[in-house]
Amino acid sequence: MDSALQVEKLSKSYKRRVRQPGLLGAAKSLFSSQTEELQAVKNISFSIKRGERVGLIGENGAGKSTTLKMLTGIIVPTGGTLEVLGRVPWQERRQLALNIGVVFGQRPQLLWDIPVRETFRLLKTMYRIPDDVYQVTYTEAVKRLSLEPLLATPVRQLSLGQRMRCDLAAALLHAPAVVFLDEPTIGLDLSVKEQVREYITDIQEKFGITLLITTHDLKDITETCDRLLLLDKGSLLFDGSIKAFEQKYASDRRIVAEVRKPVEAEERATLEKEIIKLGGTLKEAEGHKIVVEHREEGAAPALTQLLLSRLQVVDLNLEKTDIETIVTRIYRQPVGKD
Amino acid sequence: MRALEPQLNFIESFHSYVSLFGRSLRASFAYRASTVTSLVTAVFMYAIPMLVWRQVYAQNPNLGISKAKMFPYLLLAGCVNYAMGMSVEFRIGQRIRQGLIATDLLKPVDFQIAQGIQALSDGLFNGALGMVFFFCGYLVLGKDILPASLFSFGLFLVSFLLAFLIQYFVCFVFVQGAFYTYSGYGIFAARGALQQTFSGMIAPLTFYPPFLKAAGEWLPFRHIIYTPVSIYMGWAQGAEALDLILQQLAWMTGLYLLGKFLMIKSLKQLEVQGG
Repeated sequence: MDSALQVEKLSKSYKRRVRQPGLLGAAKSLFSSQTEELQAVKNISFSIKRGERVGLIGENGAGKSTTLKMLTGIIVPTGGTLEVLGRVPWQERRQLALNIGVVFGQRPQLLWDIPVRETFRLLKTMYRIPDDVYQVTYTEAVKRLSLEPLLATPVRQLSLGQRMRCDLAAALLHAPAVVFLDEPTIGLDLSVKEQVREYITDIQEKFGITLLITTHDLKDITETCDRLLLLDKGSLLFDGSIKAFEQKYASDRRIVAEVRKPVEAEERATLEKEIIKLGGTLKEAEGHKIVVEHREEGAAPALTQLLLSRLQVVDLNLEKTDIETIVTRIYRQPVGKD
Repeated sequence: MRALEPQLNFIESFHSYVSLFGRSLRASFAYRASTVTSLVTAVFMYAIPMLVWRQVYAQNPNLGISKAKMFPYLLLAGCVNYAMGMSVEFRIGQRIRQGLIATDLLKPVDFQIAQGIQALSDGLFNGALGMVFFFCGYLVLGKDILPASLFSFGLFLVSFLLAFLIQYFVCFVFVQGAFYTYSGYGIFAARGALQQTFSGMIAPLTFYPPFLKAAGEWLPFRHIIYTPVSIYMGWAQGAEALDLILQQLAWMTGLYLLGKFLMIKSLKQLEVQGG
């Protein structure tokens, strides 16, 4: 079995009671049966191979968490089919739970009133973790996530960041075949985020874990995943490698030059023609700043050479739109489904 | 090394529940101030009905049950009720409201059994504290509070265990409502009111008006307090006691199956609150 996750035309809709605003509206809604249907996930299909590392992104309310909840079997889809490790999650939830690891960044999974170490021991029994595997996953987690000072502390006394690290360790202790991480770096400071990403990558490689991460921090994706799924209002907008995503949506690569002498109007017109011939566009030529944009990956050397030969260039920068900017642009102005 | 894909099996699941029980029991000791508060509250809760009954007996000593039997009954009913203290509706209701139910459902254990294990650890903890009331009662009431016979005591232990399970399964059935209302408070109050009325905690059911007594016959609550205490006191003996135990067994099985069925229904329409 090569596929770890198989999702076909998956949908989920909710019925919500319509509530009127204000105190009077709240009182009225107690006696009203008016409902509306919300489509959280609409007919999405994708497949993830064993050992793949996939990021699932989308705006708030795009359907990421709903998708994850269906994949883990805690909510039942209203349409379509899905299989995780060959099992239908909501029908075989308990068996599947044994083979997956889950972190819901907003929801602690450790026992609230007992020390972290006790929860880890309980999980060892609960997930039937062999001693040799536990030795590796426990020792690695304690070392890599700096958990030693936290082990004797009851979970309720941990800060959000400390609890997140413990939750992540708990989800990976049993080296599960598939791991779902929902906002795994929420509430962490920058250095700890790095620590967590490195740990996720290493443990994934060590055990060949299939990884699906949802996050709003795109660095989580670029540093731990190879493939990207983009959800927009419940629909799957993009499914492909991160490189393919950049090629598809990164419409502009920029060459920004600072010149000693401002470009004259006549000179500008000639320059513009030559830039167009080489596949670029002159975006700006005001004062000492020249900005050239191009889409083709190989156009930069020729365009750079043109600027260097025609102008007295003082400084030169090649800029590529980063994934965060692309995603922000997509969120602000949906580009439509492929 | 390869990722693990173990299979569920009964023996290992049993080990998980034993391990969970140990941790849950340990967690029961986490809130000392809350334990003390609940003990003090219980003293008032059980002492006030006794004071009322004392006044009633002072005005009319011929109530059908002698004063020497009534006070041990009330004390034992209080102790049993205290041992039945389990935060099932509160705990599950809160987890549904906050969306934390998601993390419970992601554990490779049966939700109904796992919650039952936590209720059992609550029960053991509260039962141990309930023994404090029992010994205080013994100091005041003397041997009137001891079981009618060794046989009655043996049957009481069986009946008490079944009462505990009935209590848990009743709570579990009621808390299914929280999957639809997203709050356990109303459910807790409704079950509490019914239980207080029909379990025999405030008075033996023989004192009840006929219509309330008849209604109680159709509900499981009397088997939570009145049945085990009646057996302990020797009011129900021999075949009658065995018949009551069989009734408890039937209620327990029915409620267990009902809870399981309702849980399947609830999960099908579950909306996990929050993102």
